[in-house]
Amino acid sequence: MLDVKNIYSGYGNVPVLRDVSLSVKAGEILLIVGENGAGKSTLLRTIGGFIKPERGSINYAGSEIGGMAAEDISVLGLRLVLDGHRVFPELTVWDNLRLGGAVQKDKAAFDKAAEEVFTVFPILRERLKQPARDLSGGQQQMLALGQAFVAQPKVLLCDEPSLGLAQALLPPILNFLRGWAERGTAVVIVEQHIDIALPVADRAMVMERGHVKLTCAAKDLKDELRKASAVHA
Amino acid sequence: MATQAIAAETGHRGARLNSDIPQLIIGVIVVAATTFIPDIAGNPYWTHSFQLVNLFICAAVFQNLLMHDAGQASFGQSAIFGMSAYMAAIATGMHGLNYGIGMVIGVLASVVGGLLFAGPALRVQGYYLGFVTLSAATVFPELLIALNKYTNGINGISIPFPTWHKEVFGLSMLSLVIVGVTCASLAFHVWLRSTGFGRAMRIAAASPEAAQSLGINTGLMRCLAFTIVSAGTGVAGLLYPPIVGFVSPSAFNLEISIVFFLAVIVGGRGQILGPIVGVWILYLLPNVLLVELVNFRLLAYGTLALVVMLLFSDGLIGSFERWRLRRNQSTQRVNIHLDGLLGPVRTVGARAPRTEVAIDVKKARKTFGSVIAVDDVDMQVMRAEIHGLVGANGSGKTSLLNVFNGFSRLNAGSVTINGADITRLSSNRIAKLGIGRTFQTPRIFNAMSLWENLEIGLDANTGKSVAPADVLAAMKASMGEQSVDLVPHGQRRMIEVMRAVLMGADVLFLDEPAAGLSPGEREEFKNLLRRLRDEMGKTIVLVEHDLQLVWDVADRITVLEAGKMVASGSPTEIAGNPSVRKLFIEPTHA
Amino acid sequence: MVLDELAIIVVRGFGLGSIFALVAMSMNITYNASHIINFAQGNMFVLGGFLAFLIADILVGIPMWIIMIPVAGVVLAAIMTLQGWVTLLPLRHSVEQHSWLITTMAVSIMIGALMLIFQGPWVSTVNSPLPPFMVFGVRTPAPYAAISVLMFVWFFGLRWFLSKTLTGLAISALSQDLEAARAAGLKVKRLQLLSFTISGLVVGSAGFIAAPIISIASDTGIRYVLNGFIAAVVGGFGNNLGALIGGPLVGIVAMVATYEIGGQYQTFVSLLLLVGVLLLRPEGIFGRTAARRV
Repeated sequence: MLDVKNIYSGYGNVPVLRDVSLSVKAGEILLIVGENGAGKSTLLRTIGGFIKPERGSINYAGSEIGGMAAEDISVLGLRLVLDGHRVFPELTVWDNLRLGGAVQKDKAAFDKAAEEVFTVFPILRERLKQPARDLSGGQQQMLALGQAFVAQPKVLLCDEPSLGLAQALLPPILNFLRGWAERGTAVVIVEQHIDIALPVADRAMVMERGHVKLTCAAKDLKDELRKASAVHA
Repeated sequence: MATQAIAAETGHRGARLNSDIPQLIIGVIVVAATTFIPDIAGNPYWTHSFQLVNLFICAAVFQNLLMHDAGQASFGQSAIFGMSAYMAAIATGMHGLNYGIGMVIGVLASVVGGLLFAGPALRVQGYYLGFVTLSAATVFPELLIALNKYTNGINGISIPFPTWHKEVFGLSMLSLVIVGVTCASLAFHVWLRSTGFGRAMRIAAASPEAAQSLGINTGLMRCLAFTIVSAGTGVAGLLYPPIVGFVSPSAFNLEISIVFFLAVIVGGRGQILGPIVGVWILYLLPNVLLVELVNFRLLAYGTLALVVMLLFSDGLIGSFERWRLRRNQSTQRVNIHLDGLLGPVRTVGARAPRTEVAIDVKKARKTFGSVIAVDDVDMQVMRAEIHGLVGANGSGKTSLLNVFNGFSRLNAGSVTINGADITRLSSNRIAKLGIGRTFQTPRIFNAMSLWENLEIGLDANTGKSVAPADVLAAMKASMGEQSVDLVPHGQRRMIEVMRAVLMGADVLFLDEPAAGLSPGEREEFKNLLRRLRDEMGKTIVLVEHDLQLVWDVADRITVLEAGKMVASGSPTEIAGNPSVRKLFIEPTHA
Repeated sequence: MVLDELAIIVVRGFGLGSIFALVAMSMNITYNASHIINFAQGNMFVLGGFLAFLIADILVGIPMWIIMIPVAGVVLAAIMTLQGWVTLLPLRHSVEQHSWLITTMAVSIMIGALMLIFQGPWVSTVNSPLPPFMVFGVRTPAPYAAISVLMFVWFFGLRWFLSKTLTGLAISALSQDLEAARAAGLKVKRLQLLSFTISGLVVGSAGFIAAPIISIASDTGIRYVLNGFIAAVVGGFGNNLGALIGGPLVGIVAMVATYEIGGQYQTFVSLLLLVGVLLLRPEGIFGRTAARRV
């Protein structure tokens, strides 16, 4: 579904990514881990069209999207959920959802998807008419995911869904992503809390200083890391 | 090689980055020729036209200085220009004073006007300042009419200037004075830029944070910029009454401000020839070609400015310069190293035992609204140690760093650096205590040469010896007129570190200095940090995401989590701490 | 001050202030969508009045006049869409983010210059199709009332549009979080262009209605853009409710200044007001410093 090959990217004069490749199939969850500053967010932002890659190719559903504008990529069905539970603070929860689904022209599909969001996160229904700034960080993150969900993208990139949230809130959010993937969406999650995120993932990728250190099945990640650091020592 | 600060050069050296001097020479020739030739030829129409054109060029030179070097957008320069012209005319024409006295009053009035602009400029910038000055330009002629008791209102004031039209060597006095003043203003602009003060002004405009971290008071800088520019514009204004023999409110309306402003845009911001080309195109051309169609003049201003902005966003001279630089671009890459600086002062030598406290933080607390960014942090950094400051995103590292060099102020607690309590000091005062800082995105100024980018550190030096003069001279010579564009990404951080060293700082705060460095550059950087500590005795506080690098190089590490200090100690001491282990991705580390 | 004089000042000041509020609202729309403040807004407004002058001879009767209000809005909307396209053009690929300061200024000068060419350096006047009304026995031209009505119409109209329609919500979203808006697939450039179009509708209809009480000349636009800007700053930039209150406030202050110290000081008083607000409360009386993400 998403196939990234040998990309180089960065901010202005600062190169961040060096020769990064990854691929995700429909229905699969890829977990990207790495220390702060390893280039995880830069990678998602490059795929999402916020940063133009200097080199390399980004192939989505059979066509090249490298260099396209973020809004156009989003319309094609590749959706990036930015880190830091970014919603539109002055708009109501309902209006936030409506805007999230602005690319979805099918009204019935939108209503059905919105209904599903409310089933998973009932608090959003309770606070439907309140401005999003009055929600807690965790609720805003649910809303941000809901916004992406109602657009029914084929690829979802999710940048640190746990950032600024109590850890207890994370499992329902990750389970939501799991359920989403099972219906055929390709999901990429960047996450620091490996222990919580690993069980829902199919594969894992470790980034270090702007390049891919290793990729493996999610269940093998811990062993691989142990091996890698043993070699290091 | 020890005094060489950049790697040996081979091959093509590239074009001179700075073309101020050639532009100045051309400018002086053009101004002199256009004034003197019609005067000698005895053509009163062209003499008068070019006297006025060159006077406007003089005012536009100061607009250029204000807009590009000081970074202030003013649409009100017609009021400053008119202020001195009118005050001098009132003193002479209405009160019969000597024009010399009138000139002094006039320039003083312009400076007062400029300071009135500077007031709002301390609070607001950009389009806000644009609108304030735009209003001032609109109000000025209205006030001249309204205060007719003092200004003779709409009728204006006419004054004869017989002595100014006396001939000297076949030229009128007036022409000589105009050429003198306009050429002097061009030369002044070039000279000012080559001084430390001029560089400080440009940094304050380009990056206020960088300026403050170099000890520059940005507010004072803006006031001084407005004072200098209004004095210069005021001097130009004094020559208006002798040229025209008459002043009236409509001569100093908004249209004149717009000519000055757009002339700089069309000619090219920051280019010495910019005002000349701009005034020619915007003022001279329409006034000559459209002399029969006065009403089309304004349309020409607007259209030309729009077209130039869309096609050549750097202005005509600016675009030419860019083309020239690109065509002659050097293919070589410059490698900077600090050997030149470190070599001669190796005497600091032996590592003293680290017992002296350099930075002492007591109960520091910083809140943003309901968010507590720094939560009762107590920490100490010893002299001549490398101290790592680590933690997850949002743990308060950068907030703390910003407190250290005065970008934000603590709500409670205190910070003492080098024995001085800096809790309530402004960032530029803190910098002067010998505290240097680098930024996540290096503050490198492309409009300045490589050497100038370092020299601004020396400018900020308050008398601390950093290197013998001959070493600095050799550094300067080896860098020549190189553009900073030639410096590879990783090395740009070296420029900032080097700048802080030249500033004489003995405490360095480095904000994510290793971001974007290649593995090789990382190794070099670690060596640099160690040498700064061992050979120059610097105290270094390092905020860095690359934990491997921090663990390799730091003497002690402080770990922050959600604003709180959760661990502090030597790398081995704290490695087992659970909060520290969480930062690492590998379950087993160190 | 006698009561009837006070009433006249308030009624006329309110009407004048409604003009400023409308200009301020039209500036807020483009500002919110693109962070561009259009220097040409004053001349666009005068252009709306000039349109009324051009068709004054064929304009007979109140129904015809009412029909022409939206037409004037549409004409200005078309002009401003073109301007928006030109203004946004360099922002597509240039790092020079302040080019709009110059391009909108240039367009403002061009409009003023074209008016100078078409009508010369004179002031055009338009007769009001509506009969004047009486305030304490003093005849007051009807447009003072009509423009106040229009202010409320646009205020509530825009509020509905920006908070109820999907397109309006999208424009609001741009100012709140541009990146999140792009991630949601909102077509940023198209929405920004649309904000210019709507801005033209507001300012065109306002100019047309206010035509009898403004001086339609090549150099008067600056007065309206300045006072509109001041009204926006007083109320808090980008906030239409602020403009609704700031506009009449600025209008009444200007009218008091005219009565008390003379009309020639009106702009001067406005300038003092602007500087005062900027020095004391740059975020405006009703503005709150929004927590903006960097």
